[in-house]
Amino acid sequence: MKIILLSAILSLACTTKVSEWVLVNAPAGRYTLIYFYKDQINETDRNRNSSVSREINHANIDFRSVEKKDIVQPYYALYYGNRLFARYDDSKNLTGLTVSPLRQKIASEIMAGKLCVLIYLTTGNKEKDDKGMQTIRNTLNDSPFKNIIIVSELSRNSADESHFVSLLLNVEDDLKTISEPMLFGVFGRFRALEPLLGKGITEENIKLMIDFFTADCSCVIKDDLPGMDILFTDNWDNPSTAMVNRILDENPDLLHH
Amino acid sequence: MDQDSVTYDSLEVRPLPKWLTDQRDGLNTIQPVKMEMKEDRSLSVSFVLTGAIILVAVTILTVYLLRKKKKNQ
Repeated sequence: MKIILLSAILSLACTTKVSEWVLVNAPAGRYTLIYFYKDQINETDRNRNSSVSREINHANIDFRSVEKKDIVQPYYALYYGNRLFARYDDSKNLTGLTVSPLRQKIASEIMAGKLCVLIYLTTGNKEKDDKGMQTIRNTLNDSPFKNIIIVSELSRNSADESHFVSLLLNVEDDLKTISEPMLFGVFGRFRALEPLLGKGITEENIKLMIDFFTADCSCVIKDDLPGMDILFTDNWDNPSTAMVNRILDENPDLLHH
Repeated sequence: MDQDSVTYDSLEVRPLPKWLTDQRDGLNTIQPVKMEMKEDRSLSVSFVLTGAIILVAVTILTVYLLRKKKKNQ
C-alpha cells in the first residue's frame, strides 16, 4: 500500500525536461494578420487576400479583414496578442512572412531531437559580433550538451530572413532600438526566449540558458512560459526522441532541477 | 512577454531576462514534494514488547507458584 501511494505521489513530479515538454505539450501562440480596408473590398483585393490566406494557412496565424473608416488606403497589420508587430502597405511585403530557409532549418533541428537552437543575431560591427561569438563557442566547447545545441548566425540586415529578424526583435519591445549582438534560445514549437545581449552574452549566462532547457519542467515554467512564439508552420507532430535524455541517463551527475 | 522592458537609459541598467534570473536564483524549481519512505521498526518493537510481556508474566507466575508451594510445605 505504501509503495503504491509513494509511486502515485512521485508520478506527480515531472521529470520531463523543459525543452521536450514545451515541444510536445505547449501549442504555439497565434498571430493575427488583419487587412484593414475602407468601404468595401474590390475584386482584385479579394483575390489577393485569398492568395495570402492560402499562403499562411498552415502557420500559427489567423487572417481576417476589418473595415476602418479613417484610413486613406488599405493595409495589413500583424499582431501578436494585442501588440502591433508590423504594418505592410503592399501584399508583396508579406512574401515569406511565415516561412524562410533558416526557420525551416531550425525547426528540422528541433524536430530531430536537438535541445535547442541558439540564434546569434549580429549587428554588422565585426568587433562586437566576433567577441560574442567567441564567448558562445568557448562555452559550448566545454558543455556536455555541445552536440545537441545548434548555433545559427543571422545578420540583422539579412534580406532573405527580414521577417524572421523582425519577429525576433519584437520578442521584447525595446530590442529594435538596441544595436548590440543578441543571443536567442529557440526551443519547443519555435519559442524564442528573451535574449542575452551585448555584455550579457557571458559564459555564465549561456550556461544558465542551457540549464533552463535541461532542467525538469516545473509547474512554474508550465504556468508562465517565458519567451515568445515565432511565426512558422503549425505542424509539430511526431518529433524525434529528445537527445538530452540519453546524455542525462548516461551522466546522472548532470541532472538538476 | 511578461517581462517586456521599457526603454532604459542605458544597457547597463537594463535588467536581465526574468527566465535567467529565476534560473540563477533557483525559482524555476518548485516541484511537488517528494515523499521518502522512512525505516519501519514497528514490527521489531512489537516483537520486543510481546517478548518482554511474556517474560514478565512467566516471571510473576513462577514467583507466585514457588511461594505458594513453599507455603503449602
